Parts: sequence; C-alpha cells; structure tokens
Amino acid sequence: MNWKEFSPGRYGRHLRFVTILTVLVVLAAWQCEVSPSDLMKGIGKGLNMVGFFFPPDWKAFPEMVRPALVTVLICLVATPIGAAFSVIFGLAGARNLSPPWLRLTARSLIAVERGLPEIVILLLLVAAFGLGPFAGVMALAIGSIGMLGKLVGDAIEEVDARVMDSVAAVGATRFQVIRHAVLPEVLPSLVANSIFRFEVNIRASVLLGAVGAGGIGYELNAAMNQLEYSRATVAALTTLALVFLSERASDFLRARMGLGDTPK
Amino acid sequence: MLEVRNLTKRLPDGRALLNGLSFTIGKGEFVALLGASGAGKSLTMRAIVGLTSVSDGEVVFTGETGKVYRTTSTGAKDLRRARRNIGFIFQGCNLVRRLSVLDNVMIGRLGRIHPLRSWLYGFTDHEAQEAMEALDRVGMADFAARITGSLSGGEMQRVAIARAIYQRPLFYLADEPIAALDPKNADVIMRLLQPLSRENPILGAFHQPELVTRCCTRIIALRKGQVVYDGPPCLSPKEIAGLYADTGGVTSEDDGANPVPRPMDYAVNWPGHTVKIAAECSGSAGKP
Repeated sequence: MNWKEFSPGRYGRHLRFVTILTVLVVLAAWQCEVSPSDLMKGIGKGLNMVGFFFPPDWKAFPEMVRPALVTVLICLVATPIGAAFSVIFGLAGARNLSPPWLRLTARSLIAVERGLPEIVILLLLVAAFGLGPFAGVMALAIGSIGMLGKLVGDAIEEVDARVMDSVAAVGATRFQVIRHAVLPEVLPSLVANSIFRFEVNIRASVLLGAVGAGGIGYELNAAMNQLEYSRATVAALTTLALVFLSERASDFLRARMGLGDTPK
Repeated sequence: MLEVRNLTKRLPDGRALLNGLSFTIGKGEFVALLGASGAGKSLTMRAIVGLTSVSDGEVVFTGETGKVYRTTSTGAKDLRRARRNIGFIFQGCNLVRRLSVLDNVMIGRLGRIHPLRSWLYGFTDHEAQEAMEALDRVGMADFAARITGSLSGGEMQRVAIARAIYQRPLFYLADEPIAALDPKNADVIMRLLQPLSRENPILGAFHQPELVTRCCTRIIALRKGQVVYDGPPCLSPKEIAGLYADTGGVTSEDDGANPVPRPMDYAVNWPGHTVKIAAECSGSAGKP
C-alpha cells in the first residue's frame, strides 16, 4: 500500500469542508441551547409522562368520530378547489401559453403561496374569516394552489408543441387547443397529484385544527390543554388512523387509475 | 386551387430560409416536395397553413363556392377559417396520446363547430359516425376506442390521415408522413394517400425518391429555399441525386455529369393535366 496516497493534501478540501460544517453545527446548537444533559433529563421526564397517556380513554372515541369527519370534509372541499384554481394558475404560468407579464404574475403568486406554510396562511385568514373550518378550508385550498399550480404549469410546459400545432392547424381557437390538446395531456398527472395533495392536506389540517380550524387537531389540542392525557391518546390514535387510511386510499386510487405511486 | 406566390421568409440577419417560392397545385395532383434537410420543405408547409409567419409573399386557395382563402397577411379569424380547409398530416407524434383514437379523429372538425360545443365535447352522433367512416377508410375502425399512445408509428400515421379526411379539406399537406416508418408501413401510407389525391390534391414532403417516382404525379424540388425543379416525377436516380446536391445541380460523385433536370419546365393547368404528365412518363406515376 502506498501511504503517500493518503497525504493530507490529497484530502485537504474534504477536511476543510467537514471542519467548517462541524463548527457551524456546534455554533448553531449552542445558539439553540442544545444540551445533552437537558436531553437526558427530558427523556426521563417523557418516560414518566408516558404513564399518563395510557391506557387510552376509549370511551372518548365516539366523540372523536365527528371531528375526524370534519377533518376529512375540510380536505374534501379544499383539495378540489385548490386543484381547480391550480389549473388556472398553471395555464397562466406556462411559458408556452401565456405572455411574459401574465406568466411572471402567476408564477410569482404561486411562489408566494408555496413559500407560506398553511399555518401562516390560516393565521392571516383567521383575521378575515374568524376561527373555524371555513378558514381551514381556505388555508388548505391556497396551500394546494401553491403546490399543484407549479406542477400543472410545469406539466403544461412539457406538452409537445407539435401536438398543439396539429390541433391549431385544423382551425381550432386557442381555447380549443387548450381543451383538446393541453388538458388531456396534463389532467392525469393533476388527478394523481391532487390525490396525493389530499393526503398532505389531511396531515396539515390536523395542525391547522390545533390553532382553531376545527376537526381532530382541535380535539387533540383541547385534550392536551385540559391535561386529559388519556383522551389525547385517543385523539392522537384517531389522527394516526386517519393519516394511515388516507395514505392507503391515495395509493390505491392512484394505482387503480394507473397514475403511478409517486407524485409527478 | 392552391397558389403559393413569391413566398419569402428571412431571418433577422437577412438570411433567406424561403426565397421567393412560387408554385400552383391543381385538382388531382399528388405533388412531392423534395430537397435535402434544411431546404425549406417543412417551413413551406408550415407557412402554407399559417403556423409560421412569412416576410413576403402570399398563399391563396379557392373553395368550392369560389370563396378565396388566405393564410398569409390575414386576421386570426380568417386564418382559422382557411385552416379548416387544409388537411395537415404531420409526422405521427402530432396526435394527443392520452385521447382515444376516435377523439383524435374528431379533433379534425374543431374548426367547424362552435367552440362552446367543442369545450363540452358535444359532438353529434352523425359526426361520430363520419369519424368512424374516416377511420374505416384507413383500416383503423377496430382501434377507435384504443388510447392513441398505445399505437405503433404506422397506426398513428393512419389515424392522422383519418383526422385529415374527416376534416373534409380542400387539399392536404403531408409533412414527411413516412419518415419514421419501415418500408412496409411507408408503402401502406402511400397507398392510402394516392387515392386521396384524386379527390383533393396533396402536397407532401418526402425523402423516399423511389416511392415518390412511383406514386406522385409531380415533383417540386427545393434547395436553400428556392424551387430548383418543378416537373414530372419520371426522373432517373442520378437526376434525383442531382436534386439533393448542395450547389450547381451536380452530385458530388458524378462530377458534373448529372445536372438538375431542366428546372421550372413544368406548369400546371388543372384539371386533367396530371393524367397527361403521367402518360408522358413511365406510365406508372400517379396510378395506384
């Protein structure tokens, strides 16, 4: 073995990178008051707390069914609204269909929607619509536009220009070209992504519920605030079941429709 | 019927892609547009259907009622009216792959039905029946319900022809319809196009001289955006090679012995002229 191959000079660049990264992580941990002793203490406290959560208060389960249903309904309303508007934003933001000023406006709005987490959107909307499921629906719909609008816009830009030309060549109007050449090509991926977004919205709505949008998240938060830990366990397990079921349903539907397992 | 007058397309740097192209195509003609890649064949077709703008010149054709259509220097509405009378057969990839074969054929009528009706996909039973008849004519009726993306290249090209037939155009443009096909499928497509040309003329871009001399009634050869030959298809392989030469009308291997055969020595006076041309040639051109 030639030890000269392992000279520090040869690996100097990697060593510098690892050293800088380590210093940054240590500095950040110090600023965030990360302390191994606190971690150990926290684990100890947490293990003691586990006892309060079990056994679950299964008598509270019937009371969780309706909030769980509300969570599903919030997503059932928000996702199609978001998907419908994402088509409009996607068409407006596609390079091959829209003039530069419209494309820039649409893409900027989509970027803002994507940049804001749903919880921030909800806090902004609560001022206008008050607490409750409606604000949750609006927040999730706007969040869905951010994600789906970008995917639809990108999918439209990938539609073969020759396909659009061939429809235009029969004397079709611009809207007919969109209807008969563009939408058929992007709709399957929009449906697949919308089903996936429904699954994402279920998870997000639990969090939104905790800050006042209603549903199972609200029940979980209320139980924790009232120190009813065994009731909170039932809410958490119901949430877990809801997320699991929505994931399975999403995978099943996309597979059944031949749209692939992962979002495009 | 179709008149192309002084068609010119220049780039901003002044280079001409089409340089004063002029020709007329009449009833019953099956005209092959020949030329090397970059000679301007596809650009000519796109300019005729108004998919690309031109710097100068015009494209004019007349409908059965005497109405004159233009695809150059015209408004969007008039351009759409003109386009619905042109059956443009692209290379296979022009179809909407996720739609059914029948849906793709029905697209051919979009220019003739109200946009709102087409948005709601409100085609009538009669229109669907006509689309099926067009599919039947190209031997694809059994494939009507199939998703277009699942078809082979040759099958897609037949669907594209069915769409053009269903459109009921005044003439057809076929932009390299057999370029991506094997010889057997290429022959099938040419056998479909040949009888169509007797009903409505066809201008097609090809790269298969042997098929062109057998099936077409006339050749227009382009070089650097100019017509260098316009005449009967009864050309020898050497003469055809001359059409593909870069400059001067000579092939590289023949060293001056193979001039371009008398360019521009052919004019069309339709109708009926094509029969005469075919008779002057080997006797096979233009016949099924």
